[in-house]
Amino acid sequence: MKSLAVKNLKGRSVRTAVLMTLAALLSFTVLGGTLVVRSLDKGLVSLKARLGADVMVVPKEATMKKKFEDMILQGTTGYFYMDMSRAEEVMEREGVGQVSPQFFLASTSSSCCSIPVQLIGFEPETDFTVSPWIKRTYGGQLGFCDIVAGSDLNVFVGDKLSFYGVECTVAAKLEKTGTSYDTTVFASGETVKELIRSSLEKGMNDFADIDPERSVSCLMINAADGTSPEELVNDINIHVKKVKAYKTGDMIKGISDSLGGVSRMIGLLIAAVWVLGIVILSLAFTMSVNERRKEFAVLRVIGASRGSLAGLVLKEALLTCTLGSLAGAALGLLVLLPFNGFIEETLALPFLLPGVGSIAGFTAGAVILSVLSGAAAAAISALRVSRIDTGLILRGDN
Amino acid sequence: MNDKKNVKETVLAAAILICSICLCAGAKLVFHACGPKEDGSYMACHWAEQAIFGIGCAMTAISVFLIAVRNRGMKRGLALSLLPCGAVCALIPNILIKLCMMTEMRCHTVMRPAAVIFGLITAVLGTVYAVICKEEKKD
Repeated sequence: MKSLAVKNLKGRSVRTAVLMTLAALLSFTVLGGTLVVRSLDKGLVSLKARLGADVMVVPKEATMKKKFEDMILQGTTGYFYMDMSRAEEVMEREGVGQVSPQFFLASTSSSCCSIPVQLIGFEPETDFTVSPWIKRTYGGQLGFCDIVAGSDLNVFVGDKLSFYGVECTVAAKLEKTGTSYDTTVFASGETVKELIRSSLEKGMNDFADIDPERSVSCLMINAADGTSPEELVNDINIHVKKVKAYKTGDMIKGISDSLGGVSRMIGLLIAAVWVLGIVILSLAFTMSVNERRKEFAVLRVIGASRGSLAGLVLKEALLTCTLGSLAGAALGLLVLLPFNGFIEETLALPFLLPGVGSIAGFTAGAVILSVLSGAAAAAISALRVSRIDTGLILRGDN
Repeated sequence: MNDKKNVKETVLAAAILICSICLCAGAKLVFHACGPKEDGSYMACHWAEQAIFGIGCAMTAISVFLIAVRNRGMKRGLALSLLPCGAVCALIPNILIKLCMMTEMRCHTVMRPAAVIFGLITAVLGTVYAVICKEEKKD
């Protein structure tokens, strides 16, 4: 019976190919959809962790800039500064726990081969947002003119990069975060101040009357015990002039909402393709069994039991669906893994592929689900085959 | 038996030709590299695109010869030549010729994976074609 199933499939190659294509479509959709949704979820979790502070304080002028949120969340290059006196005023507020300043600077396109990159300077002594990410790949202390490159920068440890005429050494590369960190260059505050000085000397940037020694771009703050981030944000916004405090959770709300929308759309798409695929598979199996009623009747006459006929139909379905599902899953991986960067760019949302183990698990799950669906669609036809009236069919009164 | 082998060979040769055409036409029309800079000059990835286009054209010519030539030995030789061509094509983006600095740019996200996939698929299909031709000779 096993070889008969294989011979039947080979003998009707077009039908087999169509059924395999449907099974492939099912597993491709489920695997692709699941991987995209999981990657978006992981990207959002990574973004939340990447912000790493309860509150972010920036100069009020910065919030007037159209691309302010893109700069913080999406990695659009840019810079803004506030005087250290304002930062000190914020630091003295009650309820401020951990606090660390950051310095932003955008490189010029000529320093690298293509487009500008965002430079972020931090104070290693006080930092609690960038250092945890860097420590995953680099255990040492960042020296003067040492930089840490985001994972999406096409540079390697030991490479030299020149920013505003200052040659910097790549000390480490961050692991992939799925956020704007991937295209950012990190350095100590001293290094970034040196770059700012150099850019001013070369006339490549215009910071008006900003003194790099007495300026910061933003303050990352964790609320002290007993103070909620909301209270701290309100306190700073009311009592400190010319700055704006944001609760970081609120900053990513827009992204979180978009991500929810995309996930829902993908879920609906998977469900629609799934229902359509199962209906078409059921129809295809039913038509195929109707077409072959005389063939099954002859098999009954030569001694095949009702159970073995049902088994034959199920085996054919399982073989077809298994091969089709494997092909669909392979195609899904071939599209999603190499082109994940393109998908990330197209969606413009934080996107971080799950680990190898999870991908293998999702692939196995998609294949099993697709095969089981195919088997379920064929089960009705198998049941009908097991109940055929041999005499009636062979007489031609069907 | 021979008819079946001929069908296999024809299907494989057609698949090789399609992949090769995808490679050379795609490199210019679909998965091309990043555009020129504001000053009109090109970035390094443009030259990788040119190299992929060139090797794609060579592979397309080999695929056409594969269909046109009748001598089985020559067919095997042509099919085998696709193996190094495909491998080199896959190595061009970012290994033989550096691409842009940001891996989120088009040359990394679209051109590189497409060139690697089409290059490797053509190389594998060429090798399979050569093996099938060898089996035919044994038969």
